[in-house]
Amino acid sequence: MKKLYSIFKQGIIFDNPLLMLMIGLCSAIAVTTSVSNGIGMGLAMTFVLLFSEVIISLFRKLIPSMIRIPIFIIVIAAFTTMVDLVMKAYFPDLSKSMGVFIPLIVVNCIIMGRVEAFASKQGVAAVIADSFGMGLGYTWVLIGIAAVRELLGNGTLAGIQIMPASYQPILFFILPPGGFFVFSLFISFNIWLKKKMEVSARNKELAVKKEAA
Amino acid sequence: MKKEMAKLGLTLMLYASLACASLAIVYAITKDSINRQGEIQLQTSLKDIFPQAVSFDPIQGLTSTDPNIKFEAAYEVKGGTAPLGIAVKAIGPSYGGPATLLVGVDLLRTISGVRIMALTDTPGLGMNATNPTYYVNKAKKTTFLGQFDGKALTDPFQVKNDVVAITAATISSRSITNIIKAAGDAAIAYMNAQASTAPADGSAQPQTGAAVDSAQPQAGGK
Repeated sequence: MKKLYSIFKQGIIFDNPLLMLMIGLCSAIAVTTSVSNGIGMGLAMTFVLLFSEVIISLFRKLIPSMIRIPIFIIVIAAFTTMVDLVMKAYFPDLSKSMGVFIPLIVVNCIIMGRVEAFASKQGVAAVIADSFGMGLGYTWVLIGIAAVRELLGNGTLAGIQIMPASYQPILFFILPPGGFFVFSLFISFNIWLKKKMEVSARNKELAVKKEAA
Repeated sequence: MKKEMAKLGLTLMLYASLACASLAIVYAITKDSINRQGEIQLQTSLKDIFPQAVSFDPIQGLTSTDPNIKFEAAYEVKGGTAPLGIAVKAIGPSYGGPATLLVGVDLLRTISGVRIMALTDTPGLGMNATNPTYYVNKAKKTTFLGQFDGKALTDPFQVKNDVVAITAATISSRSITNIIKAAGDAAIAYMNAQASTAPADGSAQPQTGAAVDSAQPQAGGK
């Protein structure tokens, strides 16, 4: 259980797919113009990641390593198309606002990367922990970036007006350059946070040792 | 070596067929619902533009002046027995792919309302066309589509002239405006052709005299 928790934890800060592993960046810049898009994309991605990883992990002994990449793509594409169809049929509003980004989950490197590096080697329980950790890591960064961009670039949060009416939105933040800018701030923040957590973990260890001695 | 390759090919085929089969199942389950959603969306939008309408009868024969803009369907809107106007479902190119719009034109030759059925432009920019809280006129709370309500089709329909563009989405604004104009013009050309008396601009021949009073009293139809 402790092992699973540590796998889950990895994806959130230490091995954050966007800020540390630096994969799946295109979607992170593209959808983060509004918070609701960030939430929807994060959930859809987590769903596809979870099911693709579980299937690959279950079948990992039956997948010849020479053709593993095409098989991974088939599995991921099948689940993405299912999500797309189900959303169109039962959540038309969400599907409308997500537009073209759902089909793009297929080419999201996070799923490909995690399936290749993790799911094809690990058991189902570890894989579930990993996909939730990675999914959460992806989602919080998307929501964070989207919140900054939407607030400064549009004066709203999840469609609700936050800034006073006199506030002139800074369009720069909605446009792609602003996306890169906010994204880089998040990367440096995450590295700072990681260092800080490592230092405090080491101090704790030292304190424990001192007490023992 | 050859045997190995055949084996790999067969394995791949097996996985692909399994994926295909499961997709086919999901598609079969969701197909009806997706079609129904499209139909519901169309009906609510039609009702939205013409709240007093009782029936929408499909009509043929609208021609687009712009080769890039196609009309998927058109409806003669009737409130009880009297015609109220024409609604056109038009598809044209926009910034991020084709845009599908529903354009309503009333008998006064003005736009009675525009609804977006499908649009895939940039979220936060071009997609603001669908945003009900994005105002091109903040004081009057006019949305981008709202500014077309009641607009006469004799207007130039030019972005940055008589149409306010969405900030940083001029291409989307222009494409949507062009689609609305094309659909509106076609609807008016159709009305003129149907009308018993030629309107003031005289662009149509009053050839089909009986068309207007052919409005059937079949209320409550689809």
